Amino acid sequence: MLKIDNLHVRVAGKDILKGLSLHVKAGEMHALMGPNGAGKSTLGNVLAGREGYEITQGTVEYNGRNLLELAPEERAAEGVFLAFQYPVEIPGVNNTYFLRAALNAQRKHRGEPEVDSMQFLKLVRAKLAVLQLKEELLHRAVNEGFSGGEKKRNEIFQMAVLEPKLAILDETDSGLDIDALKMVADGVNAMRDPARAFLVITHYQRLLDYIVPDFVHVIADGRIVESGDRTLALKLEEHGYAWVAERKLVGAA
Amino acid sequence: MATPIIDDPSVALGSDAPSDSTANAEVTAALNRRYDAGFVTDIESESLPPGLDEGTVRAISARKNEPEWMTEWRLKAYRHWLTMTPPNWAKLSIVPIDFQAVSYFSQPKNRPKSLADVDPKLLETYEKLGVPLHERARLAGVAVDAVFDSVSVGTTFRKELAAVGVIFGSISDAIREHPELIRKYLGSVVPIGDNYFAALNSAVFSDGSFVFIPKGVRCPMELSTYFRINARDTGQFERTLLIAEEGASVSYLEGCTAPMRDENQLHAAVVELVALDDANIKYSTVQNWYPGDENGVGGIYNFVTKRGDCRGARSKISWTQVETGSAITWKYPSCILRGDDSVGEFNSVALTHHRQQADTGTKMIHIGRNTKSKIVSKGISAGHGQNTYRGLVKVEKGADGARNHTQCDSLLIGKRCGAHTFPYIEVKNPGAIVEHEATTSKISDDQLFYCRARGIGEEDAVSMIVDGFCKQVFRELPMEFAVEAKKLLEVSLEGAVG
Amino acid sequence: MAGALLASLLSEPVPAGREHLAAALLRDGLPGARDEAWKYTNLRALEQRSYAVGDAQAATRAIDLDALLVPIESCARLVFVNGVFRHDLSNVQLVTGLQIGRSVDDGRGESAPTDGDLSGARSAAFSRLNAVLATDGPQVTVLDGATIAQPLLLIFVGVAADADLAWNVLARFDLGAGASLKVIEHHVAASPNAHLGNLVVNHALGAGAHLDLVQLQEAAPAATLIRRTTCRLEDTAVLSMHTVETGAQLMRHDLVVDLVGRGARFESRGVFALQGRQHADTHMVVTHDARDTACDIVWRGVADQRSRGVFHGAITVAPGADGSDAKLSNKNLLLSPNAEIDTQPVLEIYADEVKAAHGATVGQLDERALFYLRSRGMPLDLARRILVGAFCGAVLAEIRPTALRAHIDTLLAARLPQAETGE
Repeated sequence: MLKIDNLHVRVAGKDILKGLSLHVKAGEMHALMGPNGAGKSTLGNVLAGREGYEITQGTVEYNGRNLLELAPEERAAEGVFLAFQYPVEIPGVNNTYFLRAALNAQRKHRGEPEVDSMQFLKLVRAKLAVLQLKEELLHRAVNEGFSGGEKKRNEIFQMAVLEPKLAILDETDSGLDIDALKMVADGVNAMRDPARAFLVITHYQRLLDYIVPDFVHVIADGRIVESGDRTLALKLEEHGYAWVAERKLVGAA
Repeated sequence: MATPIIDDPSVALGSDAPSDSTANAEVTAALNRRYDAGFVTDIESESLPPGLDEGTVRAISARKNEPEWMTEWRLKAYRHWLTMTPPNWAKLSIVPIDFQAVSYFSQPKNRPKSLADVDPKLLETYEKLGVPLHERARLAGVAVDAVFDSVSVGTTFRKELAAVGVIFGSISDAIREHPELIRKYLGSVVPIGDNYFAALNSAVFSDGSFVFIPKGVRCPMELSTYFRINARDTGQFERTLLIAEEGASVSYLEGCTAPMRDENQLHAAVVELVALDDANIKYSTVQNWYPGDENGVGGIYNFVTKRGDCRGARSKISWTQVETGSAITWKYPSCILRGDDSVGEFNSVALTHHRQQADTGTKMIHIGRNTKSKIVSKGISAGHGQNTYRGLVKVEKGADGARNHTQCDSLLIGKRCGAHTFPYIEVKNPGAIVEHEATTSKISDDQLFYCRARGIGEEDAVSMIVDGFCKQVFRELPMEFAVEAKKLLEVSLEGAVG
Repeated sequence: MAGALLASLLSEPVPAGREHLAAALLRDGLPGARDEAWKYTNLRALEQRSYAVGDAQAATRAIDLDALLVPIESCARLVFVNGVFRHDLSNVQLVTGLQIGRSVDDGRGESAPTDGDLSGARSAAFSRLNAVLATDGPQVTVLDGATIAQPLLLIFVGVAADADLAWNVLARFDLGAGASLKVIEHHVAASPNAHLGNLVVNHALGAGAHLDLVQLQEAAPAATLIRRTTCRLEDTAVLSMHTVETGAQLMRHDLVVDLVGRGARFESRGVFALQGRQHADTHMVVTHDARDTACDIVWRGVADQRSRGVFHGAITVAPGADGSDAKLSNKNLLLSPNAEIDTQPVLEIYADEVKAAHGATVGQLDERALFYLRSRGMPLDLARRILVGAFCGAVLAEIRPTALRAHIDTLLAARLPQAETGE
């Protein structure tokens, strides 16, 4: 589904990603771990198409297409979803209205009929129930005045409604208490599907107790330095990222 | 000592307590403001007789041994001035000025050749003002140019500065010694016909300071000019020109005082700053001209044109002013942000008490790309004082990425004063972001009570709250000035609570 | 010196008793660049135009009113076509407590109306022009204590004529003590026209009165519309006002509010959305003359293409008006490199027991918000329209009835950026 090969990315004149490669197949759950500044969030933003990231080398292929030449909204319509690390507040834009406009724009792009407000409300209520979110959330403006945890849960709620093919969760666990973390994990697990892939970006192993990954990758200094199964995450937990840095030095020598 | 409650003067507004409480009445009774700088120096001076015509302009130029081109420059300005009309005074109430009753030139009779020749009485004057010009000054580590009435009476540290290529001295000397720089830069920021008082100044300016910081030089010490008006019926028209070449940086301080006189004296200065690529100019003013008495008799009319030109890329000009003096202040230190990525700042505290009127603010003209400006204005009104912020933020078509933030706060002390805010925001570039915020508040009885309940006297509480209100600006002042500014505010506000 | 405009308007004899005003107007002319209140609106082009005064055929012009109006059940509907009252289109079946008459007695009266600003200042030239030429308009009175449940519609329809016309209308609303009324002032075009409308409206609110005023301006794109709305509020009176400006080539609105009674309150929500070469200048002057008065002003502006939006919001708190609470916020979006926004929030404070704050911004859509919407699959132009719509909608939330709100939403949607605006 997703083939990232030798990706080099520069931000404001500084090289952040330096030859990152990662292949993700449908149905897989990948975890990307690494210390702060390793380039984790840069990868998420590049995949979602944020401006200000200069791709100097490498390719990103998504379902056989060059992902990098698509506009952000085209990527979304093609099934790429980024749960933001810092969801922005949009005063005055109603959450329900926002989501329906998003869903219909995506459906239109795919040549599917738009859903009317009744159908949509039904859909949304069903998803709310799964995530144990309050309906009150629907009536508020997008993220406006939300707590940190509410913002993150709202992201997962949006993911549930939009049903992407490739979901990228950028530090969705940061700032969550254990209950909220479980709720987020439940939401993600409920969506696991042979046709859907996940890339979970996280600093801590904790989330992976609840979302069990098929693969774990460790990113350091702009590239993946170690890949393995879920036991890698546990090793990281035990040894810390310094251990990775040492191994990297050994590898370079 | 500061508690959160007084960090934000807007917290406890609209209290129902009667404001003319006994305590306040007592303080009102103490409305006897000291003006420490109000002494007259008994020194012989020679002045031109009052009046203004081409002859006056030529006489000033001749006395200063100016070259012919300078005389012509002045005459051109004078002729232009004749075609102009005085500005419309907006929010100021002002007695019309009789320009023929002013003496345009006054200087101490025995003009010193060097600091060693300076009349001891003059030295004493500056000593009283806290501006030592003699040897002891070296301890202070600040280079000083002192302007007494119309002329520079001495500059310290000239040699030390010359060693690194910095020129600092009177503009009269510079006209003779550095004509190429004067011809290149004088009037290039404030053209002779810019406004009524700038034209007048261009015709009759008597002296002022000249600063030149060559390419790549960080000026090794603070530069400072002290202006003093002493003689009766004298107008002071000084001219300051400051140039920072590529990569140069300088911090310049300006202090102003005058004796107590019961007639109004005119002060119409022009200050021009030029910052080339990567240059950084910090210009600080503590203005303490005689404000007149509590009935509005006397005081200085302070009509000043100050403008900085960020001509070069990444240049920065920062104006900081503390205005506590003058009967009427009318000045708008401005920045023309011409160079890409240039930065303009304006930090101001203006205090009006008794019958003082201040109409001050800034203009930030964004021309270059990614230019940024920041405006912080703190106005304090007491007694019958009227305090107006008037500012323009203009973003021209080509100023992509321009940013401005303006914060404009007014503090009212008493029922008879006024605080006014007149921002003009004109934006022609869709990539610009301009933000303006203004608040008006009073020192609330709750705040005062809180302080007093902790044992702080009312006057101290007021100055603490006012100081907190001004903190953001004081932080921008060089240390010695910040202390002086704080003291000035305290003195100026004595007995203001009412 | 007067240009062609005043010469053409004042060429015919003016109604008796108004000659001195006409003479003064011809002498002083229109406001120019030196008049501070007109700093951002240049009248030189208007000054050179000429108009026919009044529309002789207005009474017989066919108008499909249903196509123009917002479907609202009203207590009274007063329709003016090219400035002329149309009895046949209006509905003045009165309800208890409401009286409707004429504000001007056919121009046959002995003296000129004294509404508007007749101080003689050149900046008030259009008030004087109205006083010289207004020969019609409603006088609406709500008796003490009367609550009028259904809104009163005041509709100004512009329709093409053989020549460009100038019309002057004077309207007065008097709300007695404790009275309550909702007024919808609606400017609309039945066909493209380039008329000059000059409207003066006076609202007098007695003690405890409540006026809910909606001004909806969708005049013809080539029209010129000059309005002056003056409001005077006695003790505890409340004026809540919504203003929507989308029409006219040149629009100037002077809104003058005097809070003369203790505890009076003024709430204003407004938005302008401009495109093409539209020029809209809102000049608001609010004065707190009494204790415990309040104003709460929130305006939004959007300028696209080559338009220019001007907002002046001045608040004065007079000596003695302690306990006053004044708030003003003006936010603007500049969507095109050829558009311009000028904003000037002003505070003049002469009392110290006062809460006063204002804020103004000029900027563009939040890039992060745009990206967020796009990342959810919305094309750029849709994302922009949603965000601009939300920006404007913030000040319209309380507009009632729903049909009116819906009409305004549709109107604004049509004004929002349709596609790329030339970045």
